[in-house]
Amino acid sequence: MSADASDLSLVRRVQRGDKGAFDALVLKYQHKLVKLVMRYVRNPAEAEDIAQEAFIKAYRALPQFRGDSAFYTWLYRIAINTAKNAVVSRDRSPIEYDLDRNNSEESYDMQGRMKDAETPEGLVLTDEIRTTVNAAIDALPEDLRTAIVLRELEGLSYEEIAAAMDCPVGTVRSRIFRAREAIDRRLREVFEGGLGRAEELG
Amino acid sequence: MNEELDSQLSAMFDDELLPQECELLARRLSRDGELKARWGRYAVMGAVIRTERGVRLNAPLAHRVSAVLLAEPELGASAAVPARRAGVRWWQPLAGGAVAAGVAAASILWLRAQVPLAPTLTAAAQPPAAAHAVNVVNINTAGAHDSYVTPPAPATRALVVPSTELANYVVAHSMFSTPVARRNLLSAFMTSDPAAAGTEEPPEDAKMDVKVDAH
Repeated sequence: MSADASDLSLVRRVQRGDKGAFDALVLKYQHKLVKLVMRYVRNPAEAEDIAQEAFIKAYRALPQFRGDSAFYTWLYRIAINTAKNAVVSRDRSPIEYDLDRNNSEESYDMQGRMKDAETPEGLVLTDEIRTTVNAAIDALPEDLRTAIVLRELEGLSYEEIAAAMDCPVGTVRSRIFRAREAIDRRLREVFEGGLGRAEELG
Repeated sequence: MNEELDSQLSAMFDDELLPQECELLARRLSRDGELKARWGRYAVMGAVIRTERGVRLNAPLAHRVSAVLLAEPELGASAAVPARRAGVRWWQPLAGGAVAAGVAAASILWLRAQVPLAPTLTAAAQPPAAAHAVNVVNINTAGAHDSYVTPPAPATRALVVPSTELANYVVAHSMFSTPVARRNLLSAFMTSDPAAAGTEEPPEDAKMDVKVDAH
């Protein structure tokens, strides 16, 4: 099994003109990319803008992507360069970002909160998602919880998890799937529920 | 929804699905909105477990990217050309060089074969065999008096012309050959004719071409 086969199959589809496959790549990597960009700009709203720009740059550059490196490695490089350029251009126009430059880390967070305050329901939903997922994980049987945490938190492969849990790889795959299904049952209610701001592409 | 399909989706999300199965599922994933939504929720779960604080889990980022890309042209047509170029990139210069070298070599051989048959060149460059034999006899047998027989001066100009044309040809088509192959051919022209060696200079514009191309 080749690493990155999943991303590569989606990338090949995009290269053949299937824009829907790019949605899947954005959905998979958006949180990681925003988190990465926040190392440079801190403000969540600005980080999202930069991540969006990075995704669009990646889409436009995909014809040149040959698969020599993993897709996410390539994407991260684009995001880092985009973030660095954004910081440079921000420093060149200090008036607009005077608050950012002259204040402490707390002020950065404060400004981020101020922007988020424009959409309070967004904050509420994020908290609700977090609470729901954590509650669902707590309710999982031990073997399912261990498998999904080793996968998502530690980034272990199925083979490594199988070695750690002393079980076959097929069992690991099944446990992780069942854990996700259990969490998803609760999460779907939040996304499809009252606030109606779920990000689902159709 | 099909449980096996969902299980495959979970494995694909973790890069733990066979490439052939990935191909099939990727096609479905790109078209099936429900499957794509589930895929997105898998990503949200991961973000929560990794406690990616500050990241808005409901951010409409994917919607925004998708909206911007609606105005973008599809990559299919434009992607095919670079892919094809990438495929031939490694052998294209070699093939070009090989073709150019082959043409030049064939031309040399053909012209070399033609030169002795040309009556004017033969007459000018070389005395007839009989005449040569007579001279030799005279030298060897007529010992009564010293005779310093020198062969007639070769028609250097006539011999140089084909090499010059070939050199011009090689230089004019230098874009299809490698610098090394081109240099070898040119030096072969220069050394193959001792009379012309050191006297025949390529035209200024041709030299310029060689220099520029060599860099």
